[in-house]
Amino acid sequence: MDQMPNLGREKEMLDVLGLNTMDDLFANIPLEIRRNTPLPLPEPQSEEEIWADASRLLGANITLEDRPSFLSAGLVRNFVPTAVAMLATRGEFLTSYTPYQPEVSQGMLQAMWEFQTMVSELVGLPVANVSMYDASTAAAEAITCAVRVHNRKAIQKGVVFVSEYTPPHRLAVIKNYTQGAEIEIKTLKHLENGEVDMTSIKDAEGCCAVYVEQPNCLGMLDDTLLDIKELIGEETALIVGVDAVSLGIIDPPGSWGADIVVGEGQAFGIGPTAGGPIYGLFACGDKYIRQMPGRIVGLTKDTDENKAFTLTLSTREQHIRRHRATSNICSNETLIALMGAIHMSLLGPEGLERLALRVAANTELTKKAISSIKGIELVDPGKYNFREFAVKLPHLASEALTYLDKLGVIAGLDLGIWWKSMDHCLLIGVDDRTSESDIESLYLGLSEWIEVNK
Amino acid sequence: MDRGEQMSDLFAFNGAKGAGWAQPKPSIEREILISLIPKKLRRKSLPKWPRASEPEIVRHYTWLSNRNFGIDNGFYPLGSCTMKHNPRVNEKIVQLPGMDKIHPLQPEHHVQGLLAIYFEMQEMLATCSGMDQVTLQPVAGAQGEFTAIRCIQEYHRQQGQGHRSKVIVPDSAHGTNPASASMCGYDIIEIPSGDDGRLDLEALKSAVGDDTAAMMITNPSTLGVFEHQIAEAAEIVHSAGGQMYYDGANFNAIIGKTDPGRMGFDAVHYNLHKTFSQPHGGGGPGSGPIGVKSHLSQFLPTPLAGRRNQVEADPKGVDDGYWYFWQDVGENSIGKVQQWNGNAGAVVRSWAFYRRYGKELEKMSEHAVLNSNYLRHRIMNPDPEIAKKIHVMPLNGAPADLVMHEFTLSLTPLKELHGVTGKDVAKRLLDYGVMAPTLYFPTIVPECLMIEPTETESKEVLDKFASDLHKILSEDPDLVTSAPHTTDVKRVDEVWAARNLILKHPGNESGQ
Repeated sequence: MDQMPNLGREKEMLDVLGLNTMDDLFANIPLEIRRNTPLPLPEPQSEEEIWADASRLLGANITLEDRPSFLSAGLVRNFVPTAVAMLATRGEFLTSYTPYQPEVSQGMLQAMWEFQTMVSELVGLPVANVSMYDASTAAAEAITCAVRVHNRKAIQKGVVFVSEYTPPHRLAVIKNYTQGAEIEIKTLKHLENGEVDMTSIKDAEGCCAVYVEQPNCLGMLDDTLLDIKELIGEETALIVGVDAVSLGIIDPPGSWGADIVVGEGQAFGIGPTAGGPIYGLFACGDKYIRQMPGRIVGLTKDTDENKAFTLTLSTREQHIRRHRATSNICSNETLIALMGAIHMSLLGPEGLERLALRVAANTELTKKAISSIKGIELVDPGKYNFREFAVKLPHLASEALTYLDKLGVIAGLDLGIWWKSMDHCLLIGVDDRTSESDIESLYLGLSEWIEVNK
Repeated sequence: MDRGEQMSDLFAFNGAKGAGWAQPKPSIEREILISLIPKKLRRKSLPKWPRASEPEIVRHYTWLSNRNFGIDNGFYPLGSCTMKHNPRVNEKIVQLPGMDKIHPLQPEHHVQGLLAIYFEMQEMLATCSGMDQVTLQPVAGAQGEFTAIRCIQEYHRQQGQGHRSKVIVPDSAHGTNPASASMCGYDIIEIPSGDDGRLDLEALKSAVGDDTAAMMITNPSTLGVFEHQIAEAAEIVHSAGGQMYYDGANFNAIIGKTDPGRMGFDAVHYNLHKTFSQPHGGGGPGSGPIGVKSHLSQFLPTPLAGRRNQVEADPKGVDDGYWYFWQDVGENSIGKVQQWNGNAGAVVRSWAFYRRYGKELEKMSEHAVLNSNYLRHRIMNPDPEIAKKIHVMPLNGAPADLVMHEFTLSLTPLKELHGVTGKDVAKRLLDYGVMAPTLYFPTIVPECLMIEPTETESKEVLDKFASDLHKILSEDPDLVTSAPHTTDVKRVDEVWAARNLILKHPGNESGQ
C-alpha cells in the first residue's frame, strides 16, 4: 500500500473529474458482472513482513549450495560474478521496457548488440537474436523457422527429424510449437553406442530440418555428427542444441555446418533459479534472418550521422505482422541475456576456455571415480563426455537417489523419469565448482548403497 | 559532429589475457584435458569476446545504463504495458539462495517453500479472475495466450469439434493474439470495432459459426474503455460453440471490481510483468500464467503445484499444516510449454508484490483508473490561457466519459493542420524527460498515442505531463518534427538499420 503516491488525495482528484467516489470511476461496468464482496485475500503487509515471510519460506528450501550436488540436466550450479547482478539490476536497465524508443534506450540496445556478437562468436554463426525463453522454446522455434525456409523445396514436406536423445520435456515443447504448423516430427535414431545412426540420416534426406544435441542430454559428444551436414545437404537445415560452456573447448557447430544453433544460456549470468527466468540462445545463418523469431538489434545512425542502435527487422514480428508474424514472442528474456552478456564480457575468451576446462576436469574425475565402483557401468563407455554422464546401477536409480538424499548428497537425475526403460540409470552432472570432497561423497554414498543392497 | 568517438566500445579494451575475472585453475592440467578431447571435436580458435578487466567492464555497463531510460528515471506512460514502480525488496528476495540456487528437478521435500509460494499464487490469481485452476508455467503473456489456445484446441478435439478452425479477434487486439492463435494453426477472423471503439455485437454475430473455436479479447479494450456488452458477447460465442479467451494485459484496471469469470470467459492469461510488477527488464523476463474454468483444466501444461494436509510421516514442511507437491495434470495435458515450471523468479517477485496489497488489490486498480481519468481530463481541459497557445487539440480515441486504466488520443488534427505526427510528439516528449506513450496502437485510432499512467505516479507527475504535452502542442512545428534534441542520440534511422543489417561487432581482434 506504500506504492501509491495519491493515496489520501482521492477526493482532490475526484473533484477535478466531478465524481464523488472511487466507485464512480467504474460506472461503465454493468452491475450484473460487478464484484460486490471484498477479495478474500490476506491483510496488506509491510516490506519488513514480506521479507520475513520470504526468508522463512525460501529458507525452508534445501539448495544446491547446501550439499554436494550432481543434478544438472541442462541447468548449471554456477558461480556468477558479483558485478553481474549489481550492474544488470541498475534501475535504468531493470525498469525499462522493450527499446521501442531508441533515442532513450541506447544503453540496452548496445548491450544487446554486443550480446548478439558474443553469442554469434561463441557458436560460429553470423546472426543471433536477443534471446528466447529457454533452450526448449529456442529449439522449437528453430524448427518452425527452418520449415518456413525449406518447406518449398523439401521433398519430405513439413517433416523434421528430431534426435531420440532429445529429453522429453523439450520434445513436449517442440510438439506444442510445431503441431499448429502441421509439422511432422520423426525420430532420428542413434546407435547402441550413442552415435547417430547413418541410416536414419539417410531417411532424413529431403526433409526440412534435422535437430540434434551436442553433447546429447546424457553429456556424450558424438564426433560423427560433424559429418552429417554434408550428408543432409543444403536444402535441409541442421539445427544443433549445445551446452554453451562446452564451446570454450569444443568446436562450435557453425564450423561444422550447423544452420541454426540453440541452447540454454543460463550458465552465463544467472543461477538455476528454480528453472526460470533463464534464456534461450538462438543463432543462425544469413538465409534464416528474415524468418527468425525474436528481437534483433542493428547498428545504424541518427540524423547527425552518429552511431546509434535500434531494433530492426520488426516486420517479422507480431506487433506489425500480427497473424503472419514469424512468432508470437513479445516479452523475451532481455534482462537475463544482459546478465549473460556481462558474465561473458568478464570471462573473456581465455576465461571461457578456463571455465570449460574446469567443467571438463570435473567431468573426468567424477566419471573415473564413479565408474570404478563395482556394480556401476557407464552407459556410453569410451566416449567423451562434457558436464554429464549416465551410469547404469544394479537397482532402481530412484532408490539410489533416496538413499543418498538421506546422506545429504543430491546424486543426480533418475533417468527413469525421462525414459521408463532407463529407470536403472542415473544422470550425473558436474559443474565448474564440483570439489574433490563432493566427488568423494558421491563415491562413498553410491558404494555404500550398493553394499547395503547386495 | 561525431560523438561516435566518445562511445564505450566493449570490444576495444586491451586487458591482459584472461585477467578479467580470475577463476581457480582446473583440477587437471590444461594440456591433459585438451588431449582427452577427440581431435576432431576441439575448438580451433577462441571466440572474439572482449578482453577487459573488471573495472573496465563495470564502467562500460554503467556507461550503458546511463544511456537507458527506465521507470526509475521518470514517467513511463506506455499504454498497455503497465509500467509501474518495481519494489526493490523483490530483487533481494529472488537472490536468496533458496530461490537462486534451486534446481527445478529437486525432490519435493527440498522445495516446500517454493511450492507453497507457487500454490498461493495459483490460488490468488484464480480468486482475482474468477477462474478455477491456474498454471504458472507460461513465461510471457504471448506464451500464456498460446498455452490457453492450445488447451481450447485440445478441448474441442476431445469434444469431437476438431473442425473448429477459426479464432475471432477484434481489430483493436494486441498483435500477440492473432499471432498466438495462428501458431496453434487457427485462421484468424478480425472483426471491426463499432464507432465508439467498442466491440460491435452485430459484427460478432455475423462472424461466429460452426467453425468458431474461440474469441480472444481484452477488457477493458486497448482503447481503455470497458466493453460493457461483454456478457452478451460471451453468450454469442458460447451459443455458437466457441470458447472465450481473456487477454489479461489490462487486468490492472479491474481487480476487485469485476473479473473475467463474471464476464463469461473460459480462459485468461495474466501478465505478472504488468499487473504484478515483475520488472520489464528492457524486454523481459515476463511471466504469463493462465487461469481456466474447470472444463479446461485437464488440458493445462504439467505439473501444477498441489497440496494436502500434512501427516506425521511427512518431513518438515513450512509449518502451515500442509504438504506441497507437484501434481501431474494427467494424460490429457498438452505437456510442456516451458521446459521447467515457468519463470519461478517472476512468480516469487509477483508474490512479494501482491502481499504488499493483499485484499486491498482493489485499491490498486482504483488508483490506476483514477490516475488515468485524471490525466486524460487534465490533457483535454487545459487552462484557458494555455488553450489559447495550443495550435490544435488532440481528439479522444474513444468518445467515452470515463476510461479505465489507459486512454488513447488521436493527433490527426495536428498532423493535418501542421504536419506534426504522433511520432513527432512522442519524440518531443523524450526531450521533456518522460518516456513516449505507446505509438500508433491500436491501429483503429489514427495518429494514436496510448497513455497508461499506472497507480504509482503522483498527481504532480500527471499535472506536469499534461502541461508538457500542452507546451509541445504550442511549440513551433519544426522544433517538434525534428525532435528529439536533448537525448543521447538524435532521431534514429530505422530504415538504414533494416537495409544494412549490421547485426554484430567485428569482435575483439587482439590475441587472435
